[in-house]
Amino acid sequence: MLQPRLPAARVATLTFLGAAGFLAFWSAAALSGMTSRDFLPAPWDVVRRFAQLVVEPFAGFTLFEHLLSSFQRFGMGFLIAVAVGIPLGLLMAWFPWVDRIVSPAFDAVRFVAPIAWVPFAALWFGTGIGGPVLIIFMGAFPPVLINTYRGAKNVDRKYIEAAQMLGASHLRAMTQVLLPAAVPSIVAGLRISAGLGWQSLVGAELIVASSGVGYLMVKGQAAVSTATVMSGMVAIGVVGILIDVALRRVQAVIETRRGL
Amino acid sequence: MLKSITSPQGVPGFSFGALLRPLAGAAGGLLAVLLLWQLLTAGSGLISPARFPAPAEVGAALRQIVIEGYSNGRLHEHVMRSVLLVTMGFLVASGVGVVLGLAMGASRTVEALVNPVFLLLRPIPPLAWIPLAIVWLGLGDAAKMMVIFFAAFVPSVINSFAGVRQIDLPVFEAAAMLDVRGWRYWREVLVPGALPSIFTGLRLSLQASWTTLVAAELVGAIAGLGQILNQAAQDIYPAMIVVGMVSVALCGWLMTLGLAWLERRLMPWKAR
Amino acid sequence: MAIIDFNGVQRVFRQNGQEFVALKDVNLQVQDREFVAIVGPSGCGKTTCMRMAAGLEHPTGGTVSVDREVVTRPGPDRAVVFQAFALFPWKTVWDNVEFGLISLGVDAAERKRRIEHYIGLMGLGGYEKAYPHQLSGGMQQRVAIARAYVLDPKVLLMDEPFGALDAQTRVVMQEELVRLARQHPRTVLFITHAVEEAVYLADRIVVMTGRPGTIREIIDVKSIREAEQWDRHDRIEDVMDQPSFVHLRSHVWKLLRDQHGADLH
Repeated sequence: MLQPRLPAARVATLTFLGAAGFLAFWSAAALSGMTSRDFLPAPWDVVRRFAQLVVEPFAGFTLFEHLLSSFQRFGMGFLIAVAVGIPLGLLMAWFPWVDRIVSPAFDAVRFVAPIAWVPFAALWFGTGIGGPVLIIFMGAFPPVLINTYRGAKNVDRKYIEAAQMLGASHLRAMTQVLLPAAVPSIVAGLRISAGLGWQSLVGAELIVASSGVGYLMVKGQAAVSTATVMSGMVAIGVVGILIDVALRRVQAVIETRRGL
Repeated sequence: MLKSITSPQGVPGFSFGALLRPLAGAAGGLLAVLLLWQLLTAGSGLISPARFPAPAEVGAALRQIVIEGYSNGRLHEHVMRSVLLVTMGFLVASGVGVVLGLAMGASRTVEALVNPVFLLLRPIPPLAWIPLAIVWLGLGDAAKMMVIFFAAFVPSVINSFAGVRQIDLPVFEAAAMLDVRGWRYWREVLVPGALPSIFTGLRLSLQASWTTLVAAELVGAIAGLGQILNQAAQDIYPAMIVVGMVSVALCGWLMTLGLAWLERRLMPWKAR
Repeated sequence: MAIIDFNGVQRVFRQNGQEFVALKDVNLQVQDREFVAIVGPSGCGKTTCMRMAAGLEHPTGGTVSVDREVVTRPGPDRAVVFQAFALFPWKTVWDNVEFGLISLGVDAAERKRRIEHYIGLMGLGGYEKAYPHQLSGGMQQRVAIARAYVLDPKVLLMDEPFGALDAQTRVVMQEELVRLARQHPRTVLFITHAVEEAVYLADRIVVMTGRPGTIREIIDVKSIREAEQWDRHDRIEDVMDQPSFVHLRSHVWKLLRDQHGADLH
């Protein structure tokens, strides 16, 4: 990169200009009176609405209650994906026959966008928690499986040979050699998986939920309250960032422990 | 499927088998899946047709939608409609995204200016744009285009930006020495150097475009692949749901293949 | 302890329809508690021989047996010390040494006893809770040797164990291994391309040539070593000064050089 780094003061100024310019443009459009303030709220309208939603319920619950609902579904779907994906990935990497059986089935299903499972989710679970959890699972599962599998497959051969020479049983080989060796890859997969899972959740809640932050946005849309919809978007974005930051910390901790 | 890591080396292999085995494996796997599917549904009745259709039912639904039509159109009409929307949205979004990403990569000033807005947009999942799009643009194609735009825009920007930043310094220095400027700078230095990353971004943008289109159509549409899913869900027609899902997957997959083909043609220098 | 028996061993690789003979007609017997070194140029197949005894590779012709049983797979009865150490980076020194003992089903008290014994013997005291990346190359290989010895294996297979170490550490390790081998005699198959190392450590030296890999000559070192009493010298450089040592070393070198003009490395 040829251009030298800009001095910090200049970066700050430009950043401020960019943000200010955007906000100014937005505010001008909102204040122009072209449309109603419900349709195009000013930035501070959104902030106010957000604060309102924190204390006043909308569509049945307050903002945090909706978020909690969403996060619970995400948590369940994600944990199931991890609980199934990691062992299965290890088994597939260790036993070729497991790989042969599972791979074709997995490849057939994984290209289906998680959101396309919504009709079946609705069919099987109605508006119960199972629906969104299924869709989150469909989003979160492939990266976990793939990264576990690849991480285990790419373990340096010398560790496998050492494990075999030391008489490790299949179980010990997979849990004490393959798994620890594959951890960096697995954790990277978890980050991707969490991201995809959270995104899939939003989509699912737009259609098959009776609570949650996606549901909040749908109700906001029905009420033509853009500020509500935007508040939902902000909340979703922030939680998504927090999840990624948390996992990045986990990744860093694991890497220092392993002396990488 | 990668080579086994546990079997000891030195068991002599037959070159013939080495060729046939993966092919046979894939075909056999597919056959196995089909057989298992048939067994679990119609064969044993373990899974009732109300929950998941048997292969024969899916075949019948497929025939129906191809010949008679379902939900306001026949299969190819739905496909055309969706593919058209995705293509348009994708081209616009990635066009703008790639240009912006390259500009941000090439100029630290542009990067600093655009970053605040971009950081605001980035954490928002593509599907989260749907309610906003519907409020502003209603339930038609315009709303879908808006959603596709925001979904496809972000990966293109990020990857194009990264693509520029990973170009080796010597390349830039050579360009400066050879006094390459303006349009030529973009065409001869920036774009080729960033091209691999650009394509990664395009691939992600394409996937995002498909996902958001289907989701948007599920929420409310008149025609399109997502609409098939929507209608089939309402009609409680599981076999048609499967047809819809497979169509979506296949279209997405084929378009991705097309993109990969384009990538290979545009980057003959890249070692594979 | 047991005998390692290479009986008419052949190893042929097939690639792209072409055949490549790596090993041809290898016949060798390592006697009980004998320290045998195989020397040869790179690619002569000496490591392949060891790996076949370990069960990590299989011959395409002939058999390899340990203790009269044909070798089919790896196991703790044929402990291996790898050139690249192959310690598990995510386990402490103690856990690494313990790993094979758990597979063998040794009870906790006995495990503790054995591990402590070999940790002491290999000078690893105080490092039980350290991770491999915190140790030097020499220390790591000591752990690997402890890990192998602690299994009380039928045979010990060492694949250029000091190849990844710097010259000075290498010499120290050679002295330690000699001391260990004299104190706790075991059946050892030791692979190296360093002639001096082989002459210093081994009871017998197997000189191999490459392409195809065959045994050129087997030299008895033990009788010379005992006759000349090399073991009365503590330091390796004193042993290597002995005329009998120098003579033996030259002999092996000549055998290695004289291979129809084939390169040595």
